[in-house]
Amino acid sequence: MKLPYLWLKDYVPLNVSIEKLAHRLTMAGLEVEKIEEVDGEAVLELEITPNRPDCLNMVGLAREVSAIFNKDLKFPKAGLTRWPSQKVDVKVEDPQGCPRYIATLIRNVNIAPAPEPMQRRLQSVGLRPINNLVDITNFCLMEQGQPLHAFDYDKLIGGKIIVRRAHQGEEITTLDGIRRVLDPSILVIADERRAVAVAGIIGGEGTQVTEKTKNILLESAYFDPILIRRAARRLGISTDSSYRFERGVDAEGVERVAIRATVLIKDLAEGKVEARRDVAVGKEKKAKKEISIRNAQVNALLGANVSVSQSRQVLQKLGFRVSTEDKDKLVAEPPSFRGDVRREVDLIEEIARVIGYDALPMDMPLVKGTTTVSSSRFHRRSRIRQALCSQGCYEVVTYALINSSVLEKCGLKGHRFVRVQNPLTQEQEILRPSMLPSLLNVVGLNVRRGEKNLRIFEIGKVYAPLGERETLGMIFSGQQKEDWRNPTRIDVDFYDLKGSVEAVLSMLGSDGLTWVSTDLPFFVVGQGAQIYRKDRPVGILGRISPDILKAWDIKQDKVIFAQVDLEDLLGEERHREYHPIPAYPSVVRDVSLAIKKDIPFQRLKDLAFQEGSHLLTEIRFLEQYEGEKISSDERGLVFSLVYQSSQRTLTDEEVNQVHEKICQSLVTRFGARIR
Amino acid sequence: MSWNFEEITLTAQNEIQSASDLKTLEDLRIKYLGRKGLLAEIYAGLSQLSVEEKPLVGKGANILRNTVTALIEQKYKDLEEKEKSQSSAKQIIDVTLPGVGVSMGHEHVLNQIVDEICEVFEALGFVIHEGPEVETEFNNFTALNIPIDHPSRDAFDTFYLETPDPERPGRYFLLRSHTSPGQIRVMEKFQPPLAVVIPGKVYRPDAVDASHSFMFHQIEGLLIDKDIQFSHLKGLLSAFCKRFFGEKIQMRFRPHFFPFTEPSAEVDISCYICDGKGCSVCGRKGWLEIMGCGMVHPKVFEAVKYPKGKYTGLAFGMGVERMAMLRYGIDDIRMFYENDVRFLRQL
Repeated sequence: MKLPYLWLKDYVPLNVSIEKLAHRLTMAGLEVEKIEEVDGEAVLELEITPNRPDCLNMVGLAREVSAIFNKDLKFPKAGLTRWPSQKVDVKVEDPQGCPRYIATLIRNVNIAPAPEPMQRRLQSVGLRPINNLVDITNFCLMEQGQPLHAFDYDKLIGGKIIVRRAHQGEEITTLDGIRRVLDPSILVIADERRAVAVAGIIGGEGTQVTEKTKNILLESAYFDPILIRRAARRLGISTDSSYRFERGVDAEGVERVAIRATVLIKDLAEGKVEARRDVAVGKEKKAKKEISIRNAQVNALLGANVSVSQSRQVLQKLGFRVSTEDKDKLVAEPPSFRGDVRREVDLIEEIARVIGYDALPMDMPLVKGTTTVSSSRFHRRSRIRQALCSQGCYEVVTYALINSSVLEKCGLKGHRFVRVQNPLTQEQEILRPSMLPSLLNVVGLNVRRGEKNLRIFEIGKVYAPLGERETLGMIFSGQQKEDWRNPTRIDVDFYDLKGSVEAVLSMLGSDGLTWVSTDLPFFVVGQGAQIYRKDRPVGILGRISPDILKAWDIKQDKVIFAQVDLEDLLGEERHREYHPIPAYPSVVRDVSLAIKKDIPFQRLKDLAFQEGSHLLTEIRFLEQYEGEKISSDERGLVFSLVYQSSQRTLTDEEVNQVHEKICQSLVTRFGARIR
Repeated sequence: MSWNFEEITLTAQNEIQSASDLKTLEDLRIKYLGRKGLLAEIYAGLSQLSVEEKPLVGKGANILRNTVTALIEQKYKDLEEKEKSQSSAKQIIDVTLPGVGVSMGHEHVLNQIVDEICEVFEALGFVIHEGPEVETEFNNFTALNIPIDHPSRDAFDTFYLETPDPERPGRYFLLRSHTSPGQIRVMEKFQPPLAVVIPGKVYRPDAVDASHSFMFHQIEGLLIDKDIQFSHLKGLLSAFCKRFFGEKIQMRFRPHFFPFTEPSAEVDISCYICDGKGCSVCGRKGWLEIMGCGMVHPKVFEAVKYPKGKYTGLAFGMGVERMAMLRYGIDDIRMFYENDVRFLRQL
């Protein structure tokens, strides 16, 4: 909203610098975005919040200024007019959509340029002067905020105004030259045959005022804000008129400004007022809306020391009718243009902002503890993030909205996902059902920029139709940690990432994990796993298949991906208890065996524990061997079995007996050969 | 048998002196002092000696033993010293070569800022609470006094999901457009006194450019009790800004409009680039807008069914990206989501 200082002075006698004015307006909630100069005159550009449609005009702003600087407000004189008894034919079919409609028929207008001063006023707020008629309506709009519309009366078929909903498919060419298709959600102004304007938004080309216009019909009305807002959105237009109607114009301004404009037209375009019609629906007098304001409450909420007279003065200057109920209580009746003020707190805000927040006291609150709400989930997550970073991982943050086509690119076709109704672009059309596309995207970008050794992770949400779940996604790619003492460059593999994932899960106290070889469409066959915790799947880990990498244009051989569901884990209290440190020594026996490749180590472990009675306490994996010294369908495994008793020192014989039994079982059950 | 102790001592002394390593010295020790060594032999022969000879030989043997022992000990120390210095000469390392081990990774700068902001408020007695990103229209709008079809909704353009809300026919779930629905969830669950901060991701259908993103982060704060005042809002947020931006920062509270607070304010800090003189970063205003705040609107308390007039509260909210951009001079919001490791590494 533009506010020319010169125009403002028409209504408030003010003699402060433009900077001071700008500062005080800003500090009263009317933020000055910038100060411009138009024809050597200062013009303030204000940001008006949506609750203050009354400030979308000069008089409204002048009222604010009068309150801020405690000056009197000079209201523009409407002038007087005697209304003719002849009536314009107006029919309002949708009284809810249009509770007030004033039509004035003015004959024999002389269309000409508006007088210079008016033209300059309009130019100072960025409007282009057109002719006296259009300029008068614009001037009134800017002066008092009431949108007006002038029709060429002779082009109104049947000389008649009907306010109604548009018919389905009804068309109108609007003033901007665009042909628009309407529907019954849109309110129109029509003549006998057709829509001649989209109510409150924009006029129609067919009835616009031109140089040849002789007789005009002037419209001043109130339209339902919601109806106008929906229609404007539907048609994708916003005009000075719709902007004000959808925020709510001053109901009492409809008639006042109709008079003001009529008088101006009579004076400046020499028109003769011939007929008029004022259709007011629901004329029943609105109950007076009085709001009590207790001074104690003002100061309790603000933590300030505002006096009753100070409050009264502010409210009166802002146009409230204020009466004193007792020495601590005022009753204020908001003016018709302040629909935003409904409660005591609203009045308190008015007082606070006009006094200025900077003039109010400042104080530290006493924060009483909130024992019921717990931050532990947040802190657990933070610890995981820190732990992963200590391992050399980089945390990334990626968009949770993605393009659905990337799912196919990830081998996630057929995954169930949630779709967004109103994405701006295809890149935001669904909520991601997996971390994979987001992380592959980051890997691709970095590899292409020459950063090839990547360890990245993200803790974020993935979304299924049943809800969102907090998830850890990780990708390792490129070389293992560099060590100049061992210059052989080795790529990261499955076990590097498995180690990190296990570390994270152990931080959350999650023991009892099992890893089961699982083929998933995006993993290399035989190199993917599903992670189970207490028999429930909590994650996956594996090497991304070359097809997928190719689809993502990632020229990297090994890309290892893991995804772990943290939703439940982060919420669980970690259970820990103390076990006495063993008092007796352990006995360690190594086992080296050759075994068929398809038998997972886990099964050997399970069997060993089963056979090891209570003496076997731990199995430590040492080595895997595949190569020339062993047949091609076998691999060599070396591991230690740790025997220990909490009761006594174990004898060699005892240990030998159990160890023998375990080895024997491994041989008979799995066809293993002890090497 | 008689012993020439003088000669033996001399020989031993020569042999020990000329021993060049610890192994030779050990052999000499065995030769003289060992179980079957010379001294053992001398002592063994004592019994066959006469009463007159015995004390003389015995005394000589004792002297010899002490002398040899002392010589060997001394030589041992010398050799050890020598070997040490020799071996360490062989093992000089280049201390300037790089260390090997884990190079530290980096937490994402946005989460670092979130942590830092939350820490400040935790130290002031607040607890952290997080709500879901998929929200109901009620929590995101209605309960916060943002009516449907009201222009105030324009500021909160929202992504709607195709998932219908089973509890509200005709309405759909949405992606929260601010963290404020988190306030509603906390209030619906807990009675005051409440002091919570709510960090999280929010979504708005904004076209992406250097200063807009359709996903970004906010931190919301809420303090409710029987006597919370506007002056507390000023005090609390001043304390925060000084902690986060430094003691020298200037602040101002400017009236603004939010449907869920009354009175409402925006907090500006003096521009860190131009010190408030006006520059391109602050749009020549000298001030940078950093958060919105206000006193909780009574309608919000009504929506969560708190007893009428019993409580007052303050609420505030800030954008994490903006804080990070101001703190580190980042001029393009897209940097945060691109995740170029050369960017992540710097902060």
